[in-house]
Parts: sequence; structure tokens; C-alpha cells
Amino acid sequence: VVRWQLSPPQRPLQASAVLRRVSDEHKKEPLASSSQQQFDSHPADHQPGQEPQGPDPSYTGQGSQESEDYESEEQLQHRILTAALEFVPEHGWTAEAIAEGAKALGLSAAAAGMFQSDGSQLILHFLSQCNTKLSELLEQEQKLVQQGEAEKKPIDQFLRDAVEARLRMVIPYLERWPQALSILLMPHNIPSSLSLLSSMIDDILHYAGDQSTDINWYTRRAVLTGIYNTTELVMMQDSSPDFEDTWRFLENRIADAMKMGDTANQVQSTGEAIVQGLMGAAVTIKNLTGLNQRR
Amino acid sequence: MSGLSPAGGRAALCLSLSLSRRRGALRGFAAGPQTHFGFQTVTEEERREKSERGGGGGARSVQPPGLRAGARLGVNQVFESVAKKYDVMNDSMTLGIHRLWKDVLVRKMNPSPGTQLLDVAGGTGDIAFRFINYVRSVRERQLQRRLKHHQNLSWQEIAQSYQEDKSPLGGSQVVVCDINKEMLKVGKEKAQDLGYSEGLSWVLGNAEELPFDDDKFDVYTIAFGIRNVTRIDLALQEAYRVLKPGGRFLCLEFSQVSNPLLSRLYDLYSFQVIPVLGEVIAGDWKSYQYLVESIRRFPPQEELKAMIEDAGFFKVDYQNLNSGIVAIHSGFKL
Repeated sequence: VVRWQLSPPQRPLQASAVLRRVSDEHKKEPLASSSQQQFDSHPADHQPGQEPQGPDPSYTGQGSQESEDYESEEQLQHRILTAALEFVPEHGWTAEAIAEGAKALGLSAAAAGMFQSDGSQLILHFLSQCNTKLSELLEQEQKLVQQGEAEKKPIDQFLRDAVEARLRMVIPYLERWPQALSILLMPHNIPSSLSLLSSMIDDILHYAGDQSTDINWYTRRAVLTGIYNTTELVMMQDSSPDFEDTWRFLENRIADAMKMGDTANQVQSTGEAIVQGLMGAAVTIKNLTGLNQRR
Repeated sequence: MSGLSPAGGRAALCLSLSLSRRRGALRGFAAGPQTHFGFQTVTEEERREKSERGGGGGARSVQPPGLRAGARLGVNQVFESVAKKYDVMNDSMTLGIHRLWKDVLVRKMNPSPGTQLLDVAGGTGDIAFRFINYVRSVRERQLQRRLKHHQNLSWQEIAQSYQEDKSPLGGSQVVVCDINKEMLKVGKEKAQDLGYSEGLSWVLGNAEELPFDDDKFDVYTIAFGIRNVTRIDLALQEAYRVLKPGGRFLCLEFSQVSNPLLSRLYDLYSFQVIPVLGEVIAGDWKSYQYLVESIRRFPPQEELKAMIEDAGFFKVDYQNLNSGIVAIHSGFKL
């Protein structure tokens, strides 16, 4: 994880009114500080790093002071955003929810000014939290399989379970999720949301055992991304008990994708056969019309 | 230039003035640490004093003229009877753009209902009025959204809703603090004329020594005022003190222009046009000369940012408006 340290702070850290000692921070669950997903396969020890942010027009300074005893500003921002998630069902993914989160931590509501006013940082924080939880889940499952305590799942079952687990994390905020998706689609947010999405898909496929090194690497990820996005949209307007319709939809899409793999091979061999047939027909016609004769 | 400090009758026009401030009381016959006043040298004492007596003080986008012939130039005497002409001069000097700058400041603040704002050097109340307008509209939207949920209420819920806080400002308050009485008076009159009554207080005070307790305010703003403060570091420390944890410091001030072409045009306008406007509209050339010079002497964006960080603020950054003619610095007490 790349961490950028700027000019060392010259002022006494004791002057900080809110930044807590890191020792207090560690007592809390580590999920509060999540970092942007990288493309490596073992998202282990998550140290607070860069936040998934859009381009910042003004000049931000302040380096992090995590080398010292106190938490850095990014850690505090993560804490505020985590606290703000509770207020999302009521206020939506907005600066108001962030302000409520800050108030819940004992800070002034003006601290919400640290974040962008469209609430995108809150959504991105939530997404990266979900992704972290998902990889931990998959890691756990893999350990169980390696230790022989669980059966290795067939690939379609594995994908189905992984996508379902990830989508279930969104359920508590489902009412406000359309708003979140629309904010994420705004041009200045697309780079961050896209990278979070692709790293999540990459994680799933990695734990599924994908070791392809050819064009399949791309096609598989593209297909799974498509499945994930469409299932998410289906879930948002699903009213069946416990979202049964959504999971059935997911099952069908994955089955289609599996079949498509076989079909691709079939099409290829069929294609080859057809091409050979055409070549033969062409040669026969040439013979018949006498064009093949050497004069 | 006439009307110099008694300390030595020097009018140093070079940048060694900044050094003189640090050297303390060792210059010539000066009684205390020297500071700059435009491109001149005066003692800190005099500069501040002039702020407290009769005239202006704190932060104005324009120093109101009011200098009598032979009188000493002082930050405050310039404000004596011209607090009334302030707004007019602001408009004519900046061609009305100062309103946009102040709008940007309040929009950046994005206050929610219930915010406590301290506007220092906010004499005529520009920022305060904008804050109240903003909070009022946010509050209206909030109440409307709450109303939308009020379908099919039970009697108990209806009774509860009567007890809810429905005040138009949601508990927000502005305290306008200024070092100069005249400016406060003009501000109060303006408030009355424009119909602002709720949530406003007017306090006489010095930015270097605020008459408030610790941890009181959510937001501290100082618009076009920090330039006139003698000890900026003290003002910043006071700002840090009175802010609640998580509170925000916002400073709107003239700054250095980065673009060289624009810089040349800006200099031309500043030194040729503004003092003339001052003479024509307010009858005072010298004060506006002082104004323009003080803008040039003010530390640039990065330096001010470092000073704000020194006072203890975190996440300090700045936003240039009009490519550096004006800059908004923001910091958080974390």
C-alpha cells in the first residue's frame, strides 16, 4: 500500500484536540479503516492509506502523522465516514449524513466540510469497506478448504455465493442505493468507482482459482462484471421474500456464462468445419468450371 | 509620505520591513516591535491603537477613507466617519465582484441548521447575512422534507410534531465581532433595514484577544480582515481556541496572483485606479494607497497556509478565486 508522507509536521501533536492515540484506535475493529483495493491477491493487513477520492481542485497539504502515536487525519476521516453510515437510511448519501456522523463522534458538524459535498466519499468508503469484508470472507473460505474442513465448491456455485454475499451487504441501505449508484456514475467519480468494482471482481475470480494468462483473463472479468451489475439492478426493484428472484436471476446468468464458454468452443469447431466445407465447395466448383486446369 | 510614526520618521519602502518586525524594539527610537503599515514602518502599538479608536479596524475589503490632513495614518483612523461609505467603495473597487467572493465563501462553508458562526472583522455584516440566508433555505428544505413524511399520522405523532423544533433557523447563530464601533453600528443599521433580526449578535472585540470562551463555535470566518490584524499568529491562535473540536476556520483574503500577465494588469489597476476612486468617491487617496500596499505586503497563499498549520489546524488548503486575486484558506480543528 502506497502511503504518501508529506513534509514532516513541525507543530506539537499534543495540540490536536480530536486525533486519538493509535493505541485506542487498535482496540476498535479494523474494519473502520479500509484502504483502496489493489490488484494483489492477498489484501491482508489493511493499513489506512489513500482514500478513494476524485480529483481535488484545491491544494491539500497536511501529511499523515501515523509514524507518531496519534492517528492521522485519514484515519479520523474513516472513523467519521463509518459513523455516518448509520445515518444514511435517514438522510441519504449526503453531506448531511456525514455531518450527523461527525456529531455522533463528538465533533462539530462543520467537520463534514472535510469531505466533498456530494457525498461521494461516503459511498466510496462504504464500497471499499464491503470489498474488504468480501475478501476476508473469501480468504476464510479458502483457508477452510485448504485445511480440508470444507469441500471445494464447483465454480458456478462459488461465483454465485460470492456475488450473493457481496450484494447482501448492500441490503441495509437498499432504499438509498439508487441514489448512490447515480452519484457514482458522475464523471468525476467514475475512475474511483470503476477501480473499486474491478478490484472486487478480480478478487472474486482470484479466489475462484482463475489463473488464465490469455484473453480469457479479460473476458471472464468483463462477463462477471456484467453479471454483477445486472444482478444489482435487479435487486433494487425486487420485492420477493429475501430477494429470491434476484438470486434465481443470478443463478441463470451464471449458468448462461458457463454455457457460453462451452458454446464458444463449439462455435469455433463448427466454424472450422464450415470453413473447410466452403473451401471444398470452392475447389469443386473450380474443377467443374475447368479453372483448376493447368493450361 | 506625511503622517509617519514618531519613531523615526522613516518610510522604508523595501521589503526589509518584514525583518524589522522580527527584530523587536531595537530600531532607532521605536518604543516597541516595528511592523509595517502599507510600505511604511510603524510600531505595533500604534498600528493596533489606531485600530481601536474611532475608526475602522478588523477586516474590510476597503479601508474607508477618513484621513485628515496631518493626521497619522493608522489602520483605524482611516475608518472614522467612513464606515458608511464602505460598501460603496467595495462595490466600485471590485466592480461588485466582492459579492461573488463572499457567496463562494458561504457556499464552501455549506452550513447546516444549528451551526454557530463567529464572523470576525465582519463589521458591516456581509458574511453574516449570507450565512443567515443560506441556513434559512436549507432549513426550509429540511422542514419540507419532514412534511412529506407526514402522511397518515397517528394522533400521537401529530402531538409530537408540535413539540418539534420548527424554528426558521434551526438554532443557528451568528456572532459578528469587530474591533471598530462604527462598523458595527453600520452593520446593525443594515440588519434592521434588510430585516434580519433573529440569530444575530454584535460584539466589540479584538481578533487577537477574542472575548469568548473556548470551544464555542462551529465555524470561524474572517473575510478581508486578517490583513489588518497586527499579529496574525495571535489571531489564528485565538481562532483555534474558540472553535469546537471539528470546527472549521475559513479565511477570505486578497492574495498573490500567479499569472504574470494578469499580475501586471492587476498592479496597474491597483496602483493607478483604486486610489483615484478613493479620492473621487470617498475623498481620501492615502487610505486606498495603504490598502493596495497592504495587499502586496500580505503573505502569499503557501505562507499563510503554513501559518494556519502552525496554529494547530489540520487539513489546511486554499482555493484561488480569480487566479489568485483572492484566496479562501480553510482549516479544521481536529
